[in-house]
Amino acid sequence: MTDELLIVRCQLGEHDALTELVRSWHEPVRTYVRGMLGAERADDVTQEVWLAVIRGLPRLREPGRFAPWLFTIARRAVTDRLRQEYGMPEAGAQQEPVTEDAAGVVVERAALIAALSCLPVREREVLVLFYLEDLSLEDCAEICAVPVGTVKSRLNRARRMLRDHLTEKGTKR
Amino acid sequence: MNDEPNLPAEEMIGRLSPVLSPWRRLRGVVALVSGLAGAVCAGSLWATEPAVLPGRTRLAFAVFTLVCLAWAGYGAWLVTRRTPLLALDRVIAGWFALTASIATTVIIAVAAVQRGAGLAPALATGAVVIAVSGVLVVRAHVRRAALLRRKRELEAVRQIGG
Repeated sequence: MTDELLIVRCQLGEHDALTELVRSWHEPVRTYVRGMLGAERADDVTQEVWLAVIRGLPRLREPGRFAPWLFTIARRAVTDRLRQEYGMPEAGAQQEPVTEDAAGVVVERAALIAALSCLPVREREVLVLFYLEDLSLEDCAEICAVPVGTVKSRLNRARRMLRDHLTEKGTKR
Repeated sequence: MNDEPNLPAEEMIGRLSPVLSPWRRLRGVVALVSGLAGAVCAGSLWATEPAVLPGRTRLAFAVFTLVCLAWAGYGAWLVTRRTPLLALDRVIAGWFALTASIATTVIIAVAAVQRGAGLAPALATGAVVIAVSGVLVVRAHVRRAALLRRKRELEAVRQIGG
């Protein structure tokens, strides 16, 4: 079933559709939250995300754009938890040219998840959304409330940092 | 970092059941509408009382009105903060509000006629409340009809595609 049909059924008030929605999207949401906050806080924040999603469902005007909306809410919940370290706006996000970085392509999912915690929040976030959630650059930009160019530069920076981290880890062994 | 899910979807659904339950969603509407109707009734009767009431009677009116307003406040908090009103809930809530508005208007109009005064303000107040409820009903039906239409379109597309 398409997401849009599922959301429309939820908005109509079909109980089965609501549970199916949670069943379908629980793991992606939890993966994102876990990637951002770590496993110990993931369950509580995931529950907060779902409560906000269900409460906001009647106001969702574009059911076809559910995924970006969902992750925008998830991001807000994560940001609330990270406010202490995340409050200041990023000073002069650099627009870097987009390059196809082999490191970003070859990094395996498991290694990526394990290495995420070494990255700063903003870089970690775009990596999770782009690689683990398979969202488009446009969706990532919408969720993070930044231009697509900023997402690209953060992805570049994140891949570079991740590669450096993995390289360093490899040489220490 | 552990890649296995700690909290399965089914358990999350269990945790969310208070929000997912249709009856719990409507509980807020019942509290809101009943509280408002009771407060309007008690307040109107008290305000249109021709003679000066004894102290205890005034206290009783005040307490009853406050209790009704407290229920209305609780209902408003539930509806706006705690539980969503989905399309079907809004239709039911709208009809519930319209019925309560008409019943309240009838009660205060009958009381005004029995006292021989205050019929015009009672009818004016009732008309406003009924009109607001009527608009809510119409909006809820329009929204639900739009969603049902979209659902049929998407199901048709899925059948063609699948």
